[in-house]
Formats: sequence, C-alpha cells, structure tokens
Amino acid sequence: MVSITLFLALGAILFCIGLYGVLTRRHLVIVLACVELMLNAVNINLVAFSSIGPFANVTGQVFTLFVISVAAAEVAVGLAILIALYRNRDSIDVIKHDLLRW
Amino acid sequence: MSSQMIFFLAFAVIAIACAVLVVKLDRISHRIVAMAFNFFAVAGLYFLLGAEFIGIIQIIVYAGAVTILFIFGMMMTEHRHITFGNNPRRVHRILSLLGVGTLLGLMLYGILNLDLPADNEQFYGSAEKIGVELYGHYVVAFIGIGFLLTAALIGAIVIARKEAK
Repeated sequence: MVSITLFLALGAILFCIGLYGVLTRRHLVIVLACVELMLNAVNINLVAFSSIGPFANVTGQVFTLFVISVAAAEVAVGLAILIALYRNRDSIDVIKHDLLRW
Repeated sequence: MSSQMIFFLAFAVIAIACAVLVVKLDRISHRIVAMAFNFFAVAGLYFLLGAEFIGIIQIIVYAGAVTILFIFGMMMTEHRHITFGNNPRRVHRILSLLGVGTLLGLMLYGILNLDLPADNEQFYGSAEKIGVELYGHYVVAFIGIGFLLTAALIGAIVIARKEAK
C-alpha cells in the first residue's frame, strides 16, 4: 500500500504550483483555473486521511463533497463576474483592474 | 514495487505535469485541456484510495462541468492575445517563486518528519456510508450547501446578464 506521506507531499506540490500560478499569471481565466488546482490539492489530503489515515473514517469524504460543491459555486460566480468585467472594462488583464487598490 | 505504487506514481506524474502545463503553456485552450487532464489524474488517485464515489463526483463535476464552464468563460472573453504587451516584472516573478518555494520546502519538511502510524488498513468509503453520514450528522450543512448553490446560480445569472437600457 502507498504510504500516506506520499499523498500529502503530492497535495503540497500541487497546491504550491497552483499558488505560483495565482501569483504570477495575468489572465483572469487562468487565475481561476489555478484556484481550482489548489482546491483539488486540498481534496487529495482530505481523501487520503479519510482512506488510509490513522483514524480512517468517512468524514473526510463528506467534507470533500462539501469542498467540491463550494468550488463549483465559486467557479460559476467567478466566471459571471469575469464576463461582466470584460463587458464593462474591455479587458481581463489582472493588472488593469486596480480600481479598489489604495 | 507493488502495482498500487506504480499506479500512484503514474497518476502523480500526470497530475504534476499537467499542473505545470496549466501555468506554463502559451494558449488558453491548451491550458484548459491540461487542467482537465489534471482533474482526471486526481480522480484516478481517488479510485486508488478506495473512494469510488468521490472519484466519480470528481469526474462529473470537475472534469465535466467546471471544464465546460471554463471553456465558456474563455470563449466569451478575449483569448487570442494572451500576452498583454510589455511584461517586464521579473522581480515580482522571482519573489513569487522564492516565496512559494519556501512554503513548499517548509510543508515538505513538516510532512516528511510527520510521525504517522504506518500500515493502517484501508477504509473503503462506499456511497451508502457517505449517504448515511451526509443525511445523518451533516444534514444542516447539506441543506446549507443547497441554499448556497441556489444563491450562486441566481447570482451568476444576475451578474452576467446584459443590463436593460
């Protein structure tokens, strides 16, 4: 059986790749995609602990379902905001949307 | 090396490679395809862990619905000119790489020094167990998720529709 340490390390690596993408990419669609990658990495941790962790039970999988549904809602609202933003400001470059920055 | 280990390594390599491609590829459509393959690899990891229901939900929701949503988002906005003119900010990029690398190093250090009891027997979370737990202990949270999804659906329509003149 695969050790749980490997699953946790894989989750950490995927999370950091997603975080790097969020910090450096300028296209808003790609920023949202990288947020999805980070949520996926967290889900790997939850399912790994739920399946081969020290106190393996079903709770981690239930929480994974909750995370997936919240992520789906986040993508729907995020893309709606993105479309409205593109219609009003005519750009989806992250750097150009600094209206609320002090 | 057991067959589980081989499958784990294959799925892990696919997942990491596709995540890197999402950050590094040139065209938006290629990045979204790489993201879909990443979701499939993660679903394979769930099957490997004995969480079949979560794996199927992952394929339906992420590899199906979320990817299609991203494709719509890509098509409804400008996607041909992915480079936004001058992009000099090397300092920002190097600082991000340093920060994320430090975070990854600290997390890997903590994970590898973790003292977990090895060789637990694997738990198989069937759909029946998940359903009993979901409608038993977590029924309030389940109803709350229902309200959240409804609010997100209505909110997305309201935000994205054209304003009436």
